[in-house]
Amino acid sequence: MKKLASLLFVPFFLIGCSNEQTIQVTDLAADEEKRVEIEESIRNQEEIYSATAIFVKDELLVSIQVNPWLGFKEQKVEKRLQKEIEEKYPDLKVLVSSDYKLHWESQKLLEEENEKKMADEIKKLKDLAKEET
Amino acid sequence: MDPQEYQQLEQQMTPPTPYFKNVLKAFFVGGIICTIGQAITYLYVIFFNFTEQTAGNATVATMVFIAMILTGLGLYRKLGQFSGAGSAVPVTGFGNAVISAAIEGRTEGFVLGVGSNMFKLAGSVILFGVASAFFVALIKLILVSVGVLEW
Repeated sequence: MKKLASLLFVPFFLIGCSNEQTIQVTDLAADEEKRVEIEESIRNQEEIYSATAIFVKDELLVSIQVNPWLGFKEQKVEKRLQKEIEEKYPDLKVLVSSDYKLHWESQKLLEEENEKKMADEIKKLKDLAKEET
Repeated sequence: MDPQEYQQLEQQMTPPTPYFKNVLKAFFVGGIICTIGQAITYLYVIFFNFTEQTAGNATVATMVFIAMILTGLGLYRKLGQFSGAGSAVPVTGFGNAVISAAIEGRTEGFVLGVGSNMFKLAGSVILFGVASAFFVALIKLILVSVGVLEW
């Protein structure tokens, strides 16, 4: 019984070992330098395993997914990254969020090509993130 | 036979309580209920306009509703017999407590029976939940105004 149970958990521990970060950044209306720099600052956060950054004009939406084992640090990582990007680019309206909804929606937005539609969608998402009830 | 002898005899006769097995059952059934809740949360997040933060209320309502229907059909009782605390501790146990008390009072009429019995068990949960939430909020308010914590 014990042996069987420990065998059952092996795949879970092995999944935890994969240490890759998937970071995707859109390239609508943003220069190369900014993109690389923001990708770099996301990559520097070790707790993040998946992130999406979407630029539209002066809006930036960064949705991050924090490693489940470090879930209690989620808010801290969010705040740290928000502060870091705001300090680097004071002219950008940034929102860093660890919410799964924003991650899911921005994954869909990555394939969007219409800039107007994207801007509307970003605005909607930012409003949704403020919702508390 | 004196009382002491009787007690000894009783202890010999009663089968030992399978604590380990009960704990294991409660753990897995409770875990399965929570997994279903998590799946419902993701359902709300992906298909509706809920964020992870706001989907909590809707998920709790749905889980309680499902438990209420299962109680009415008599299925939750079987689950409770099998897993004990595993089915009572999650929020579904609250729905079960409300509906089973209401069913119990049905014979006494609709108002004085169902109406007054419905929260006989769950009333204390609500009362102490609200009271303890108030005190936790009070402590946090004090800590924030002193400057130990942030909101």
